[in-house]
Amino acid sequence: MENFYIKAANFIPEINFNADSGELSISGESYHEYTQEFYQPVFEWLRGYLATPNRVVTFNFRMYYYNTSSSRRFLEIFDLLEDYQNNHSGTIVINWYYKENDLDMLESGEEYAEDTGLKFNLLPYS
Amino acid sequence: MNRTFSHHGFYSKLKKHKINLACQGMVSQDLLNLIALSLKRKAVDNEFVARRLFGVVVELAQNIYHYSAEKAYSEKDKCEVGVGIITVGEAADSYMVSSGNMIENRKAAGIKERIEYINKLDEEQLKTYYKEQRRLPKPEESKGANLGFIDLARRSNNPLKYTITQVSEQHSFFTLSIKIKKETT
Repeated sequence: MENFYIKAANFIPEINFNADSGELSISGESYHEYTQEFYQPVFEWLRGYLATPNRVVTFNFRMYYYNTSSSRRFLEIFDLLEDYQNNHSGTIVINWYYKENDLDMLESGEEYAEDTGLKFNLLPYS
Repeated sequence: MNRTFSHHGFYSKLKKHKINLACQGMVSQDLLNLIALSLKRKAVDNEFVARRLFGVVVELAQNIYHYSAEKAYSEKDKCEVGVGIITVGEAADSYMVSSGNMIENRKAAGIKERIEYINKLDEEQLKTYYKEQRRLPKPEESKGANLGFIDLARRSNNPLKYTITQVSEQHSFFTLSIKIKKETT
């Protein structure tokens, strides 16, 4: 399967999905006005990738800022991953990075962890 | 343009109210980028507060973009987008971000009810409400995430301040002001 890549731009995060290593990363900012349209190809790739069972997936979120609309999209991503873990023998690790003084981003990670049955590593960076 | 408009009067008024950023018109993605750059450049002494400030500007701007009753055609977006006003003011201990835009009178009661409800919730209840709403499918007529007001209340740790002033048979002017403390505890 081919890798998936979107270059970061203003209001768009960098998205870097490596099909071979199972390392999927989203980083930067996400406040597109039409997040549903923007994330559609991301979901298409993910659904294709998760159609094969038994994968070991590391998902890295390293966001500086995202809007409430993106927050819905991320929850949908976690739901996909959770379903994969529970029903398709997947192994999922979520690395949620936050800048060490950014309490909002830390809390956001904690809330996603509470909302899903996935294991979250909450990782500060300086 | 109205010849009676006084630029000096406008300037003085902004200055008096310590408003250091004011934009009126189409609240486009490009405008948001400019605001973002300007805020990032400014509040370097506290990155966390700068980010909060920016988050509040984005949510207010996107409310205008999606929900303002007054629209203009955006050449870039190839569709009609909302028109309104955004201001950022600064006091000694806090920032005040405000938005203003037209709404249809028939929507006024719903907006009021939603804000009043949110203002009654404490921090923990706001968190629960946010998570609940995020789990729900968004209402058909909602173009955004339907989470904006809750997010704004959470970021400001203050009640949402708003006014709704009827200006015609169809429309009211809706303002929303969010205070952000410079020192976080």
